[in-house]
Amino acid sequence: MYKLRIRFTKTDFMKFISHLDLLRLMERALRRADIKLVFSQGFNPHPKIAFATAVPIGLSSEGEYMDIEIEEKVDIPSFIHRLNGQLPKGIRVVACKYIDHRATALMAMIDASAYIAKCVLEHPVEEGDVKKWLAQFMAQEEILLCKTTHKKNRETKKEINIKPYIYHMDLVQYDPLYFILKMTLATGSKGNLKPEILIEKFRECTGAPILSDQVRVHRLDLYTFMDDKLVTPLEINA
Amino acid sequence: MHRINLDTLLYQVEKPARYIGNEVNSIVKNLDTISIRFGFAFPDVYEVGMSHLGMHILYNLLNDQEDVFCERIFAPWIDMEELLKKEGMPLFTLETHSPIKDLDFIGFTLQYELSYSNLLNMLALGHIPIKSSQRGEDDPFIIAGGPCAYNPEPLADIVDIFVLGEAEEVILEILDKYRQWKSSGKLKAEFLESIVHIQGVYIPSFYEVKYKDDGTIQEFIPKKTSYPQKISKRIVKNLDEAYYPQKMIVPFIDIVHDRAMVEIFRGCTRGCRFCQAGMIYRPIRERSAYTVKELAHRLIKNTGYEELSLASLSTSDYSSLYPLVRDLIDQYGEKKVGLSLPSLRLDSFSLQLIEEIQKIRKTGLTFAPEAGTQRLRDVINKGVTEDDLMQAMENAFSLGWNHVKLYFMIGLPTETYEDLDGIVDLAYKVVDTYYKVPKEKRSRGLSVTISTSSFVPKAFTPFQWEAQDATEILKEKQAYLKSKLRHKNIKYNYHDTETSFLEGVFARGDRRLGDVLVKAWQAGCKFDGWQDYFQYDKWWKAFEDCNIDPHFYANRKRNCDEILPWDHIQIGVTKKYLIKENEKAQQGLLTRDCRMNCTGCGINEGFIGGAC
Repeated sequence: MYKLRIRFTKTDFMKFISHLDLLRLMERALRRADIKLVFSQGFNPHPKIAFATAVPIGLSSEGEYMDIEIEEKVDIPSFIHRLNGQLPKGIRVVACKYIDHRATALMAMIDASAYIAKCVLEHPVEEGDVKKWLAQFMAQEEILLCKTTHKKNRETKKEINIKPYIYHMDLVQYDPLYFILKMTLATGSKGNLKPEILIEKFRECTGAPILSDQVRVHRLDLYTFMDDKLVTPLEINA
Repeated sequence: MHRINLDTLLYQVEKPARYIGNEVNSIVKNLDTISIRFGFAFPDVYEVGMSHLGMHILYNLLNDQEDVFCERIFAPWIDMEELLKKEGMPLFTLETHSPIKDLDFIGFTLQYELSYSNLLNMLALGHIPIKSSQRGEDDPFIIAGGPCAYNPEPLADIVDIFVLGEAEEVILEILDKYRQWKSSGKLKAEFLESIVHIQGVYIPSFYEVKYKDDGTIQEFIPKKTSYPQKISKRIVKNLDEAYYPQKMIVPFIDIVHDRAMVEIFRGCTRGCRFCQAGMIYRPIRERSAYTVKELAHRLIKNTGYEELSLASLSTSDYSSLYPLVRDLIDQYGEKKVGLSLPSLRLDSFSLQLIEEIQKIRKTGLTFAPEAGTQRLRDVINKGVTEDDLMQAMENAFSLGWNHVKLYFMIGLPTETYEDLDGIVDLAYKVVDTYYKVPKEKRSRGLSVTISTSSFVPKAFTPFQWEAQDATEILKEKQAYLKSKLRHKNIKYNYHDTETSFLEGVFARGDRRLGDVLVKAWQAGCKFDGWQDYFQYDKWWKAFEDCNIDPHFYANRKRNCDEILPWDHIQIGVTKKYLIKENEKAQQGLLTRDCRMNCTGCGINEGFIGGAC
């Protein structure tokens, strides 16, 4: 039994398929590529495929990861070639390596994501304004987000400080009618901040004329913290 | 240009992956190198349309022709429709996202009457005039087939060309004529003239219908003497030689039937008198086990599907089912490819078979006695006895099943409340049977679901002359059953009666219903088969506005000598046979399975030349 860690993209129209769709797609592509998958035991055997995160519909990404377990060892270039031959346009395996089958589960390992987000504006603004808004936003001691949770018909409201979840937020491209932000945010079970929510908060706090329904987000990569440094799941020795 | 817009729209709709295309095994061709663009249109949403086997067959068949490009078109869901209208964007194909108006043909498959309003809606969303008489030389030809095309008359004003029967051969013949016509530069009418003599082709605009004062048909008249007086369906003679795809599109999203499908035979010899499929798809033709296995192999390889389904009208009737299933289990069990056998008759043999393929989960079992008493089951020629049913139940419960569904029809000809009591009795007997099985053998928690649908008389069945029960009567019957089926283990489901009524009107409708359809669509009717979107009041008003009495179509008993709207169509089974079957039904006499001995339905005279 061998475990492979795979980095892949989910772009173009493929950003519109759901997490469950992606799981089905991968299983079927692996079957067509004639990769012998390991199945779970029990009543309803499932192939052992585990993703790093559940990608929401609409988010495109060039840095997704999954671990799969296979019966027979295949050499990496041939594996990538065979699998890519079976994947639809927009989903592409870009790298992969064998990892120890006892390695930490991907899902448990992820701490952060890097994104770029395109924010289309209602009316033109100056570059200086955007920079000013960013500085003003990041200078805040805390950024409070009101979170409503539903538990057994009871609505509870809770204020959480999302500032610690923003590792980095920067302007990378400016045009009078839109700007592009690059940001690194907490992702995973220990803390999670969705880019759309952050941008909405940014709009609220600064009054930037962002058209909320036209914000487009693209994930660059996923990371885990190692000695306070961000490393990708393929960079760590597992 | 369209692509950019589409991206924006997709962010605003539910299940955007319905509209993206790009699935594995979907085909995109270079528009500059092909000569015919065909759109296979299913008048319902993606998840429903993609589950339809016929679409996969024709899609691949057409795309196997080098100069033909077949794309897919589905009904956009309400949210997408609103966006398209708001943005002024036309309905598009999945493969190239091009406007459907740009195609040479749009071919609709008519699987159920309640999808007709969607057909109109799709044309309109494609910026194509609804009626054939309004369409110009630049508009595509609208062609339609499928089971509902056997009574094409309600759509006679809308569809240019109907294909009757199995389209695998006839569609290519039509396209051959189209190539010739296209290079000739002649008018559209001349193309229709050039195909009118192809067997299986019906051009409704070439005919005229005259009515009597009482509303029944006086005469069906070809506008030229050269047009065929009778139109015969087409069949594929040998299923082993017939085209079958080696691959199927694998959808991204979860669809109704998400699995590889191999059709093991066509037709059915049981002769249930309510069943249209059992008559129109005759004769029975099997695909050999060898070919089935070959196709299964290729489909599984090319799709990566984890489930294979053997499709037919009545799986148990396949002559070598057991060895076939054994071979498939041996071959694919290891690879964790599951097998599903729909439409099994549940005798002890089938249960054994299901045990074998479902070693894992004991999911629900479905039985279809169709009627509550032996008398009524004999009337409809459903050869199931109460003993069969109870035996199957006992076996199933002993083997660990505990969820069973029983399907019945209400409103069948000659039905009385005694027959409804029969449904109730059967339900309680099933419960008793469960409790008689020793505790250690049965699974805990019995659930018995009784479902009744309302009988809709269909064209080309022995019941085509019968009156459908009025909605009030059906409602009373449902209320009666509801009051009698109160038990902790029993759940009673029933169909909306208004929907069945509308289905009944169109199933035996004539050309005059075309205007009603247009009116209802204009008023906003669509997705009539979806309970939440069915607007009975608007349909009712459309009938009133057109001065048409829907009861005339649904609830009127016809005489055998009346000219029926579909009489000019020949399915091979003779009217004489249907009359005889109707008489036998009234007397409660059974007709045996014609595999045992020919029952003289007429299909072997002229259609296949000799025995079935």
